[in-house]
Amino acid sequence: MTRIRHVVAAELSKLLSLPSTAVAFAAMVLGPVAVTFLNARNAAYTDPAQAVLSAAPIGTVGAIVLGVVAMSGEYRSGPQESGGGRQITSTLTAMPHRAWLLVAKAIVVVLLVAVAAAFAFLLALVCAHHVLGGGEAGGVPARLFGAAAYWAFTALIALAVTVFTRSGILPLIVLIANGSLVSLSYLLFKVAPAARYLPDLAGIRLFADEDHLAMADALDPVTGGLVMGAWTTGLLAVAALVLHRRDA
Amino acid sequence: MRPRLPRIVTAELLKLATLPVVLSTGVATIAAAPVLAALSGAAAGTHAFGIVAGTVPFLQVGPILLGVLAAGGEYTGGQVRTTLTAMPRRLPVLAGKSAAALLVLLATGTAAAAAGAVTARSGRAPAFGSVHVAMGIVAHLVAMGLLALALAVLLRSVLRPLAALLTLVFVASPLLGGLTEKAYLLPDQAGRLLHDPLPGTTPGTWTGVVVLLAWLTGVGAAATAAFLVRDA
Amino acid sequence: MLSIEKLGKRRGSRVILADVDLRAEPGKVTAFLGPNGAGKSSTLRILLGLDRPTSGTALVHGRAYRSLRDPLRTVGSMLDGPGAHPSRTARAHLAWIARSNGIPRRRVAEVLEQVGLAAHGRGRVGGFSLGMGRRLGLAAALLGEPEALVLDEPVNGLDAEGVRRLRGLVRAHAADGGTVLLSSHLMGEVAAVADDVVVISGGRVVAAGPLSDVTRGHASLEDAYFALTGYERAEGA
Repeated sequence: MTRIRHVVAAELSKLLSLPSTAVAFAAMVLGPVAVTFLNARNAAYTDPAQAVLSAAPIGTVGAIVLGVVAMSGEYRSGPQESGGGRQITSTLTAMPHRAWLLVAKAIVVVLLVAVAAAFAFLLALVCAHHVLGGGEAGGVPARLFGAAAYWAFTALIALAVTVFTRSGILPLIVLIANGSLVSLSYLLFKVAPAARYLPDLAGIRLFADEDHLAMADALDPVTGGLVMGAWTTGLLAVAALVLHRRDA
Repeated sequence: MRPRLPRIVTAELLKLATLPVVLSTGVATIAAAPVLAALSGAAAGTHAFGIVAGTVPFLQVGPILLGVLAAGGEYTGGQVRTTLTAMPRRLPVLAGKSAAALLVLLATGTAAAAAGAVTARSGRAPAFGSVHVAMGIVAHLVAMGLLALALAVLLRSVLRPLAALLTLVFVASPLLGGLTEKAYLLPDQAGRLLHDPLPGTTPGTWTGVVVLLAWLTGVGAAATAAFLVRDA
Repeated sequence: MLSIEKLGKRRGSRVILADVDLRAEPGKVTAFLGPNGAGKSSTLRILLGLDRPTSGTALVHGRAYRSLRDPLRTVGSMLDGPGAHPSRTARAHLAWIARSNGIPRRRVAEVLEQVGLAAHGRGRVGGFSLGMGRRLGLAAALLGEPEALVLDEPVNGLDAEGVRRLRGLVRAHAADGGTVLLSSHLMGEVAAVADDVVVISGGRVVAAGPLSDVTRGHASLEDAYFALTGYERAEGA
């Protein structure tokens, strides 16, 4: 279906022309770099790669914002003098196949997250090496991919939730309050161990080393990654269904 | 021209009361407090208000959203034009809006703190604890709500100040808290000093009050200046 | 009575308004005509205290809008639709406006009746059609029983019944001694309703006076408009 190419291009153009995208991108890149620098300076970590990975949670916020604005902009009422219309009308008349529309948005979001992750970790590694000197822990590239995957899953979950809520408020609150250093899911986990299957906790070993984790008995990286991936796919599938059936 | 402040405050209260999402946020905050208190991992023997104090990092989301909606909501549907043609003098409008928000924040904050404390007390807390801690909790919640309002006036939006403050509270603050001793200069950390000060020589409650007031004054002044000068 | 004298507004290097003079007298309907982007809305926004002019004055009964005690009881206005939050009900929207100016609560039901929205009082503004939203805006303008009405493109989005109702309302208001200033770009409506006309183009007033004066020497108001605003004569209709 060659039309998907056009839709992806259109969605990319849309997302890139939003000011919030630049902010999200900056957060995903500058955040980890800044934190890596601070961590390295404070000698909290001796290994540059570890310093970079510990900074990964910061970029999650940027990923969340990206996923949210990719969808929330469709539902914002336009200025009254221009008729108060919403962008979703133009979007759906241009692309009536709603499931494919969601796929296109998902592709664009993952693309931007991947690019941001590449920049972020590269710059952060350079920065950490500069401050800390050499040092190479095994399996680091794999964990950097893991961190990028965590970001991508989070952004897609944000996208899916924004489809349900048609507003950015709830996804921003729920995801930022959970995806980082002070997690509500973690509180739940201490009461109910099954909570480690929640998406943000499941994927935590994707970037965090066992020794540096406050959470005991987290899912191992591969299992965790699969669980988080399953959540993401499931939520996106439901979102596609909702989008398909709901009035615009 | 003497402004009709009571009327403005009533109008702003009416606005808040008739916005469904504001009501839901208030209710959700008050309902979340007991749940958070129950989930809290506070040490055994902590007083009820102490337990609630531990939940404030999460609880403050409600007041933050309330503050953002109180001001940011004006920029949905072009309502700011209606507000400014009905009440053209901008300083009274801002004052009235802040006063109305303050009342709502006080009510919500107090109710939430009470709900959390009662739950904690009926759980494992041996006693309610000091009233000062309770006041500190409510003060923290109200202050964050007012800060959110000021930021929303400045940014003329709902999502931007929300994302910014959530990032501050859940990402920047914990991070900087672990990296430096000066983290108490952040508004939410300063707020913590009001009800959960660390023992020892670290800054105390009054430092927290000063820092919070400084933030409110600073952002508030910028927001006021912008609101007074900008085109609607 | 509304008086605008030598009003000027620049934004950066752009001149939005230059030397605009306009008077809207009581007992008359004054129409403010001009192409898109000519400065009609900018002028009205300054009159209503929303924006600041770079020079000149815009006064309501000799006073600035911002200095009026309960402005909605003196000037009722409608710019671009209802200016209401989409999640609120129509009644709730009118209720807070009424409260802010000390207008009695009963006026809410009265104006909803007057504009034909009585059945939709409890409906969410977000669900209103374009015409309904405009009627809500008109209701808000009428809440305070003001002496003057300032309406920006009031006919936009109204159906035939709405147009007729508006025309009747506007003429009745002027006949009762009130002042009406409305901006429009619909010739037919203006010709049917206006006593005085002010034509603006490119931020400057190009003609002002009674309808008959402005159309003198032209076949119709439409021809006069195009001639004054410098457009090519429209061939045919």
